[in-house]
Amino acid sequence: MFTTVLIANRGEIALRVLRTCREMGVRTVVAHSTVDRDSPAVRLADESIQIGPAAPRRSYLNAAALIAAARQSGAEAIHPGYGFLSESPEFAEICQAHGITLIGPPPGVIARLGDKVSAREFAAEAGLPLLPGGDGPAAGVSEAARTAAGVGYPVVLKASAGGGGRAMTVVHDPGDLARAYAATRREAVVLFGDPRVYVEKYLDAARHVEVQILADAHGQVLHLGARDCSVQRRRQKLIEETPPPGLPAAAVERLGELSVRAARAAGYTGAGTFEYVVDEHGACYFIEVNCRLQVEHPITEMVTGIDLVREQLLVAAGGRLSLRQEDVTASGAAIECRVNAEDPARGFLPTPGVVEEFVPPGGPFTRVDTHAAAGTRITADYDPLLAKVSVWAPTRAQALARADRALEECTVRGQGVRTNVAFLREVLAHPLFRYAKHTTSLVEQMRATPIT
Amino acid sequence: MTVETTTPSAPSAPPPAPDERAQVLDWVVGQAARLGSAGRAPLRRITVSTATLAVDVQWSCPPGTPAAGEEHPADHPAERQDRGREGAVLVTAPMVGTFYRAREPGAPPFVQVGDLVEAGQQVGVIEAMKLMNAVQAERAGRVSEIVAEDGAPVQYEDPLLALVPCDSH
Repeated sequence: MFTTVLIANRGEIALRVLRTCREMGVRTVVAHSTVDRDSPAVRLADESIQIGPAAPRRSYLNAAALIAAARQSGAEAIHPGYGFLSESPEFAEICQAHGITLIGPPPGVIARLGDKVSAREFAAEAGLPLLPGGDGPAAGVSEAARTAAGVGYPVVLKASAGGGGRAMTVVHDPGDLARAYAATRREAVVLFGDPRVYVEKYLDAARHVEVQILADAHGQVLHLGARDCSVQRRRQKLIEETPPPGLPAAAVERLGELSVRAARAAGYTGAGTFEYVVDEHGACYFIEVNCRLQVEHPITEMVTGIDLVREQLLVAAGGRLSLRQEDVTASGAAIECRVNAEDPARGFLPTPGVVEEFVPPGGPFTRVDTHAAAGTRITADYDPLLAKVSVWAPTRAQALARADRALEECTVRGQGVRTNVAFLREVLAHPLFRYAKHTTSLVEQMRATPIT
Repeated sequence: MTVETTTPSAPSAPPPAPDERAQVLDWVVGQAARLGSAGRAPLRRITVSTATLAVDVQWSCPPGTPAAGEEHPADHPAERQDRGREGAVLVTAPMVGTFYRAREPGAPPFVQVGDLVEAGQQVGVIEAMKLMNAVQAERAGRVSEIVAEDGAPVQYEDPLLALVPCDSH
């Protein structure tokens, strides 16, 4: 096992990783920007290193600074958390070249699965079900139009290098395709420096389901069931739950087996997530792989009792996973609600400011992953995630009640600071969500026809 | 108040055609203008850089409220006043790495205590990932103290040396 791990992230995920490291007797070094110098992760770490100013490209996205910090602190490994450099094949290669272990899959695997087009090619080879679409990036607008006509409207135009729901345009009408194609390419260049765009069938009413996998370098690959992440705004997740309601256990098992087979074919190691959309008839289609720990991993931990960060560390250190597929049992239901400093009334715009009062929920089977406290500054530099409130209960109905009770207890106050807590509670109470009849369009539907 | 948007490191990809570049630039400038007009305070500055894009928008703050960044030394220049060293300003580390006083082992140091330096003059080197990054004085002054040791690991903003500004002489 590693002696020292550098945590190259901030906020709740830096704390989350730090805690498991400490439980495993691993020394922690937290790399932080100037605005995070008083953060809880820095306070709890064995050592901290200031790597740059608030702007991520000069701190958390600065590979040279992170390598220098790892060198200075004697860290043998870097845990990238999620976001920032967690899925950068270039950073993974830089770490490798400097003899530092990046806790994640090998660089070649990240490169292949991180690009949406090559991931699609890989998925086809691995026998994963694919949404109809182009074989690769469209060579031009006329090819995009031909592909769209072939698969039938609506279609979605996606940046090959995209992620996080950005540089994606849904086209319902052939007359809108040319303009949407040009706009998506422009956005792809701006956001990812890569103009390639491809065409895929768009499902209007779909569920978003993902499978958590773990793999070691000794040939052992297993899955820990699935999560439903259909409640999204701006294509970013708000509420996640496991097991996916309304999806038969056999379908979850099949997705799990497919994902395990594909992960093995890719030479995957560490924790990862295979994402799928499920249409109204229950047909599942692969969308992408996330080569990192997910924000929503706590709910899988709650139903399985498996510490995913612990498994990541074991595998990265060259060890074996601590369990086999037959040892994985999931019980009950778990729900995670993301409490963000954002204003649902203003299109979920982040609300920068200083948190003056923060009372996290507590109570039975309630887990709060947070870095927030009175005095926490929410800046425009980073994601406005304040806390992840996750609950477990024997049944989904009890978990829903527990999640609502927990959110009711959650108090966040500060000048200018708004949160989505009331909105999350509206979602939990919404009939479509309660009866698991919702799709990824739920938030838009709620905003179009608010329930009074 | 400052908002900065950045893109992740650009993967290797064919560069967009010239006309597409112009379109992209128009789009970026348009978005930046929209972002600028979205602030509640008067706009102070918009900076648009290309390649791995960065858009930096600054608004003035209403009187009586501290300007964003004032509480963050992150936004300060590399030199800052140090109350413990009267009349001196510190040259601080522009990045995390290893500080060297000379260009190479055995070479004379860039500066010694007592030297006069000009604004922009190199006063040291910080090595990170085998890249040698120049440390420059942002203003003219006389070196009053070498704070960081040669070959020592330094963090971002660690003090490296102290200067008594020329206008204090």
